Amino acid sequence: MLSRGLRTSWLVAAALAGLLLPGKPYDALGILAGQLIMAVNFVFLRRLVKLFTERTAASRGPFAFALIVKIALVYGGLAAVLAFGRIRYVPFTVGLGLPLVVLFLKSILLAFGQGPSSIFARRANETVRSLRAATKLAALLLPLLFVPGLSFAAEAAKPAEGSAQELPNWIVLLHDFFPQSPVIGWLEKNQIIVFAWLAGLLFLFLSWLAMRKPKLVPGPFQNGVEWVVESMYNVSEGLLGPQIDRHFPLIGALFFYILTINMLGIFPGMKSATSSLDLTLALALITFLYVQFWGIRNLGPIGYLDHLAGSPRDPIGWAMLPVMLPVHILGELAKPVSLSCRLFGNIFGEDTLIVVFVGATAMLLKASLLALAVPPMAGITALFMMLQTLTSIVQALIFSLLATVYLYMMLPHEEHGHEESHAEAHATS
Amino acid sequence: MLFPAALGLGLPLGIGLAAIGSGIGIGFLGKGAMEAMGRQPEILPKLQVAMIIGFGFAEALTIYAFVTMFFLQGRIG
Repeated sequence: MLSRGLRTSWLVAAALAGLLLPGKPYDALGILAGQLIMAVNFVFLRRLVKLFTERTAASRGPFAFALIVKIALVYGGLAAVLAFGRIRYVPFTVGLGLPLVVLFLKSILLAFGQGPSSIFARRANETVRSLRAATKLAALLLPLLFVPGLSFAAEAAKPAEGSAQELPNWIVLLHDFFPQSPVIGWLEKNQIIVFAWLAGLLFLFLSWLAMRKPKLVPGPFQNGVEWVVESMYNVSEGLLGPQIDRHFPLIGALFFYILTINMLGIFPGMKSATSSLDLTLALALITFLYVQFWGIRNLGPIGYLDHLAGSPRDPIGWAMLPVMLPVHILGELAKPVSLSCRLFGNIFGEDTLIVVFVGATAMLLKASLLALAVPPMAGITALFMMLQTLTSIVQALIFSLLATVYLYMMLPHEEHGHEESHAEAHATS
Repeated sequence: MLFPAALGLGLPLGIGLAAIGSGIGIGFLGKGAMEAMGRQPEILPKLQVAMIIGFGFAEALTIYAFVTMFFLQGRIG
C-alpha cells in the first residue's frame, strides 16, 4: 500500500516536473527534491513504526539508529535544498505535499472497499496495542512531518513581517551575540520549528521519566502524570464512548503536545511555538484530515455524502439540498481555520499582552522611575502570567476536545442517542 | 478618510464589538451552566466539558477579530 502510493506520487511528480522542465527547470527540480525527501521520510517512518511496535530490547538500537538517520536525511535534505537558494518555496512545498495527498486519497479509496488493509487502519491497530508509547511517538512525529513545508510556504508568502513584537528568547539573544554564525542564523530563522522540537523532546523526556519504572503504588510524579492522562481519557471517553481506544493516541498526543508547547512559553527565554499560525495550522490540518478520513471510513461513501447533505429524509430536506450541501462543506472547511486561529490568537494575544507590560516597565526604568516601575508593573505582569498558565491549559483542552467533538460528529452513534433519550425519559418520569 | 486612519479607527472598534457578542454568549452559557449545576450537581463533570467547549466556540469570535487585527496591524503605518 505504502510503496504503491509512493510509486503513484513519483509518477505524478515526474509528470509535473516534465511539464515544467522546458520553462522553469528549477521549479521542476524543486518538485522532484520535495518528492524525494518526503519519500525518504515515509520509508523511514514505516521502519520506525515497525521497530517501535515490536518493543523488544534488541530493537532499541536499530530504532535509535533509524531515527537519527531519518532526521539527518530529511532535515539535512531540507536544509540543503533551502541553502541551494535557486529553488523556490512553492514548487518545493508541492513536491513535499504530493506523497501525502496521494497517500490520503489512496487510503480513502481503500476505506471504501477493503478497509482493514489500509495503512492508516493498520497503524491505528498497532497503536492501540501500546497506547501511551504511541502517544509519545505520534506527538513527536506527526506535527513535525508537516511543519517545515508549511512554515516555509508561509515564509514565502510574507517575507517581511515586522509588525509583531515579542520578547527575545535565547535564540534571538544568541543571534545578537553571534550575528555572523550561519548555524545560529539558521536557528533564528526557524525558531518555531526549533521550539516545536524542543517541546516535543521535553514531552518525550517527561513521559519517559514518569513511566521509566512503573510501580503498582506510584510515586508522586508518576501519580501526577497518570492522573492527567486518565482524566483526559475519561473526558474524551465521555464523548466518544467505547471507540475511545482507537482515537485516544491522536487526541492525547494533541492535548499533551499543545500543553507542553504552551507551557514552554512561560519560562523566560523560551517561546511558545503555538504563537505562530504555521504550527497551529499544521496541527489543525492533521486533525481535519484525520476526522474526514474516519468519517468516510465509518459512514461509508454514501453515508458521508448523506452527512454532508444534512441527511435529507423528507421532501423539504431534498428541496433544501442545494443550500445545505455548500453550507455543510463550508462548515467542514471552517473547522481547521477556526481551530488554528483560536489557538494562535489566544497564545499570541497573551504573549503580546505580557510584551506590552514588560515594554512599559522598561520604558519607566529608562526614565529612572524605579519606584513606579518595578512593584506595580511586576505585579501586573505576574498576574498576566498566571492568566497565561490558565489559557495554556484551557486552550490545549479546547483544541483536543473540539477535535474529539468533530470526530464524534463523524462517527455513528445511534446507541448513544438512544441512551440519552432514555435518560431524558427517566428524568421526566 | 485615509485608509490607515480608517484601519486605526476600525480595528479596535471591531474587536470591541466582537467582544460584546462573545461576552453575551459566554454570559448566557455560564448562566445556563450554573443553573443546571445548582439543579443537578451530579452532572457536574459532563456539564463542565460541554461548557468549556461552548466557551471555546463563543470566544473564537473575538479571536477572529483579534487575528484580523494582527494581520492588518502593520498597514496602519
